[in-house]
Amino acid sequence: MEWLELVLVGMLLPVFPASVVFNAVIRWTPTGWGKAAAMILLPEVGVALLSSISSARVPLVHSRGWIVLVAFSALLYAFRAISVREISIWARLMATSGLGLVWIFEATHRGRDVMAVAVLAWSVPAALLLVLAGLLTERSGGAYLGLQGGLARVVPRISSLATLSALALVATPLFPSFFALLHVIGVLRLFWLWPLLLVLLVWGWSLGGFLQQLLFGSYSGERFPDLGTLATSSGAVVLSLLVVSAVVWSGAWIGI
Amino acid sequence: MDRDLTLGDRLKVRSMVYVASEPIPRFWPMRTFIHHNPLFGLEHLPFDRAVEQGTALFHGRGYLPRRAYQRYRAEGKVDDRALGRYVRAFVEREDPRLAGIDLEAWLWSVLVSADREEICPRSDWLDGSSLRDALDDRSPSSRPSPTEEQLAALLRERILPERMSRHRSVYSQLDLLFGTRLAATLDDLLIKSCLDFFDEGQSVWQAPGREHGFYRSWKEVARRNLRFLLHGRDLAAVLASDQEPEAMIAHTLVTLEVPESSWQDYILHELTHLHGWAGFIRFRSQAHHYYWAERYPADLTDFLAVRMVIGLTLVQEAARRHRCPGDSDAIAAFVAASPFEAYLRAELYGGSILAGWAQRADAAIGRSRRRELGGLAVDYIAAKRRDEAMRQAGILADLARSVGPEAEVGLRDLSERDLERLVEVLRTWESQEGYAWLRATEAHYIDDVIDRVRPSGSPRADRRPFAQAFFCIDVRSEPLRRHLEALGDYQTFGMAGFFGVPIGFLEYGNGSEQPLCPAIMSPKSLIVEIPADLVLEEEPLYGALSHVFQDLEHSVLAPFVAVEAVGLLFGLGLIGKTVWPVRYHRTYGRLHGKKPLTRLLVDKLTPEQADSLVRAVQRAMIVRALRSELGLGRHQITDADVRELREIALGNAAGPPSLTVQLGLSAEDEAVFVEKLRTVYRVDRHEASLQMERLGRLGFSLEEQVQYVHRALVSCGLVRNFSRFVLMVGHESLSRNNPYESALDCGAAGGGHGLPNARVICAMANKAEVRLRLRELGVVVPDDTWFVPGAHNTTTDEVTLHDLDLLPTRHLLYLERLQNGLAAATKRTAAERMATLETGQRHDREPGKAAAMALRRANDWSQVRPEWGLCRNLYAVVGGRHLTEGVDLEGRVFLLSYDHRLDPDGRFLENLLAAPVVVGEWINLEHYFSTVDVHRFGSGSKVYHNVAGRFGVMTGNQSDLRTGLPLQTLYRDGQPYHEPLRLISLVEAPLPFVLDVVGRLPKVKSLVMGGWIRVIVLDPDDGYKAFVLEEGEFVVHPRSGLTERSTVMEGVS
Repeated sequence: MEWLELVLVGMLLPVFPASVVFNAVIRWTPTGWGKAAAMILLPEVGVALLSSISSARVPLVHSRGWIVLVAFSALLYAFRAISVREISIWARLMATSGLGLVWIFEATHRGRDVMAVAVLAWSVPAALLLVLAGLLTERSGGAYLGLQGGLARVVPRISSLATLSALALVATPLFPSFFALLHVIGVLRLFWLWPLLLVLLVWGWSLGGFLQQLLFGSYSGERFPDLGTLATSSGAVVLSLLVVSAVVWSGAWIGI
Repeated sequence: MDRDLTLGDRLKVRSMVYVASEPIPRFWPMRTFIHHNPLFGLEHLPFDRAVEQGTALFHGRGYLPRRAYQRYRAEGKVDDRALGRYVRAFVEREDPRLAGIDLEAWLWSVLVSADREEICPRSDWLDGSSLRDALDDRSPSSRPSPTEEQLAALLRERILPERMSRHRSVYSQLDLLFGTRLAATLDDLLIKSCLDFFDEGQSVWQAPGREHGFYRSWKEVARRNLRFLLHGRDLAAVLASDQEPEAMIAHTLVTLEVPESSWQDYILHELTHLHGWAGFIRFRSQAHHYYWAERYPADLTDFLAVRMVIGLTLVQEAARRHRCPGDSDAIAAFVAASPFEAYLRAELYGGSILAGWAQRADAAIGRSRRRELGGLAVDYIAAKRRDEAMRQAGILADLARSVGPEAEVGLRDLSERDLERLVEVLRTWESQEGYAWLRATEAHYIDDVIDRVRPSGSPRADRRPFAQAFFCIDVRSEPLRRHLEALGDYQTFGMAGFFGVPIGFLEYGNGSEQPLCPAIMSPKSLIVEIPADLVLEEEPLYGALSHVFQDLEHSVLAPFVAVEAVGLLFGLGLIGKTVWPVRYHRTYGRLHGKKPLTRLLVDKLTPEQADSLVRAVQRAMIVRALRSELGLGRHQITDADVRELREIALGNAAGPPSLTVQLGLSAEDEAVFVEKLRTVYRVDRHEASLQMERLGRLGFSLEEQVQYVHRALVSCGLVRNFSRFVLMVGHESLSRNNPYESALDCGAAGGGHGLPNARVICAMANKAEVRLRLRELGVVVPDDTWFVPGAHNTTTDEVTLHDLDLLPTRHLLYLERLQNGLAAATKRTAAERMATLETGQRHDREPGKAAAMALRRANDWSQVRPEWGLCRNLYAVVGGRHLTEGVDLEGRVFLLSYDHRLDPDGRFLENLLAAPVVVGEWINLEHYFSTVDVHRFGSGSKVYHNVAGRFGVMTGNQSDLRTGLPLQTLYRDGQPYHEPLRLISLVEAPLPFVLDVVGRLPKVKSLVMGGWIRVIVLDPDDGYKAFVLEEGEFVVHPRSGLTERSTVMEGVS
């Protein structure tokens, strides 16, 4: 029974192979707002479900094998994201990669309430990207990068928010994912540094491609409107709150 | 073709390369930047056709976007009547007969109110029926999906076009169909190879084997390239197939199954793809006495062979890895066999797919299921047809609305067929619209110049001017001349900045000869600069230290060893030149020591004098050798010792020299020393003979000097009433950290400084013998007239006079007044210029501050725009100053002084039209094309520039060599500051006379009749009527006061 519960949690707080379900749900949810909501809610539900399971009942998650699986899952999805050009798919895959690492909090006996906050480090920027992808699709027909390039000049506000959200996903300081990853590296043995650094490397590689296709090039397609002031400000506020909470929360957390 | 090409086959390949290279403009190294027309190779065509062809070849644009012209129109810079004329002419020509459509009104609306860049965007499926449905807001009528044959035909046009202008190479076809990045990878690898081979001293480590030529040396390195092997690129196997570049080119084309009938087009497009590098290699292979080309030869056949080999290897690798076709025939077969898949692929990887379908297409292509792809393609085509129709319908509806209610009704009532015709006509108009705007804008400026440039009413008083000054025709001279004339009794003239004296200049302290003349000329005579003071050889301390620091900078190991030790010293310089640039450079100059007083050797040497000079140099080298090699001071050796060593080194006597015997040197050491004298210090027979040959080029004979001075004075109309001072003012610029520094210098002096030319002609004109001969020719120069050379720094507007130590004593009394006048003119000019550079600040009341600001800009190494240079050049006036004196032409005019009354046979006018006006055309068109497409014809933003090999710049880490001018030179606040218009040349001379002269100059005639230069003739014999050349005919301009049409073309045979 615990195994079933674990698999269910694995679908919501995605770890390969159960992560397939998480990705399918996000993929098939209509509209960007819907996808964003699913992105935020599903992992929280997963953490809540995990909270209902006693640690003693699922010793597997505290084993070395589980950490290997989690690292593999993170690496797999990060690698998969490299060749993706569609913004919502990229956000989904990168979030899956990062959310998997949150399992290490459980593996290292960190409180599940901390986990509930840590998942936001990836789910919130991913949700923001999913919303932006939806808005871009509404305005231009799609959110597939690399067709035209040079969106930074055409829709600078969307591009700026997308860039910051993407940076937030790949553990860039001072976003929460950076501190979360810092904690993960801190609590694991030196041996585990290599796979985590590999994940970071692949994230950077993927981010480079994403930003290249988003920002650079010369745009020659049809013009379409950018975000309004209110929407842009809201996005900026969300990202700012992420940074502030990261600095405060992680500072408190690591004893600063 | 098999491995062994016959000589005929090899020549055939070479000739194809030669023909293909014709449209590619040569690119001079940036050390001597030469403005050139990017479409120079197409000047045999009329302007509009050349632009059409050139923009297709080089993938650039030939005119500004419509929005820019609309802005000009809003600013009153466009002649609406002219624009209307062109619209009417187009409508009459096309005559589409669309019922209910006032086409003229529609086209006018497109011109003045359309805010879209394209009124009729490219479409694959648009037809009258879908357009009608979209306009009527109906759901599209169902129609059968296109057949495979229809689709294949469309794809053949897009992917495998046969028309030259849209030709695609095999790898670009693969990129379009399979999303590979072969073209970009090929460019990267080729550029890197070019950087390695063509480096001119920037790299510390040089590529090996360069003396064998580009292709051979590259081949040897490429065979061993580990990166290629790691990527699985078996270059060695490809290279093993053929040895010679021509054979490799042929082999590649055969392997790629390119039909031989298409080879010429294929080669053309391969070469034009990196036209910067191709242009540089073309220059290099044709330049005379280009040091690097003589040492490391390369030509376009080598370049093409390297490109072909790399391309073939990449195609073979892609065929292995991605399982795509490996040659042209296989690609065509794939397109024919799977047209739906090919169409989807072309749409996706070509970037033209509808955004909402991209991910679906990407996923379907990844799954590679033929039926799925076919179904998806059918659905996609239907969606695309709808999208194209809706988009076009929206555009047409907006356009109709802007025209008026009748137009909306007319559009509603148009049949499907007429709708198609309307779109076709609009598309045709759009392809010609740019040229219409250009001519209409030029018409405005032609009106303007005819209004303003007229002979001044009051005759000039026959008073002797205080000073006369010859300036370069450069547009930057105009404000200075205007301000100087306004200040007092100054008379100015304009002539090409080399003053008609082409020289090779050997500057003191510089080992290489610099040609100071227009790029189209080759100087025969050499001028050497020698110090007037004899000083013992010593180097200021700071100069010696700076040599050490320079060596450190270029050493590969230095950063590891010396950075902590001397890094701080470099840091001081960094801070100094950033925070206090003027003070820093002044201090730097003082520490380096001033350049000594020098003289120029202007007179030709007799053979005896030349021989004596060679001997003197050899003696000096022997003395230096004795000091450096044997530690002997001058006091320890006698003239006889030196003479003896010289004879032995030249092989005229046998050793051992008595000196070495005295010193007790062994026979071996003595032989080594003598060998060093020959090889290192160049005291040998062959070198002596070369030096004699070179000295034979030194200077000018008396007759030549007389001719040059006579021509300079008479061609500008100064044959009497000479003032006390006649200044010959060359020009130069000053900027720091600027690869384009040479572009700001004198183009007439080959991108160098014009001061040496000024000094030469002044030295000639001050000679008594020359003046005596001039008197015989009718030009009487008074005894108290002194020619003074000067330099106009166009970045600071300072005018510095030189050779003042040669000034006659009595002239010193007036020198202060002259220098004050020049200083005042400098400040006024700076105030006028700074207002355009430092916008938003008042400078006219504080010229002193403006001059200080100009000086700071010139010394600031972070300044991307030290001056505007030749930006906004527009006019060339060939005539007397009386036409333009006092007229503010805003620094936009090349002013060439000319008096047709002193030129009965038209020789001077020939020279002016054949050289300065052609150079003006080059400058004008370089600015034109760099402005209309700053990223393709221009060189983009300076912010991303990196110097390549010391001869060019690239954008970013690696790119094509950037030809053209940078953004910061031409644009301000994101808008073009330079107005891209063709040069409007105004010639003051009788019309038949001008036609006769032009008829004698085939190149100039071709430029004029082809519309590369706009021409106005002000005929002084006909009441100063202005005749404007319009579409092959000279028309009397309405503002001349008469309306008759004059077709005086008989003189042009």
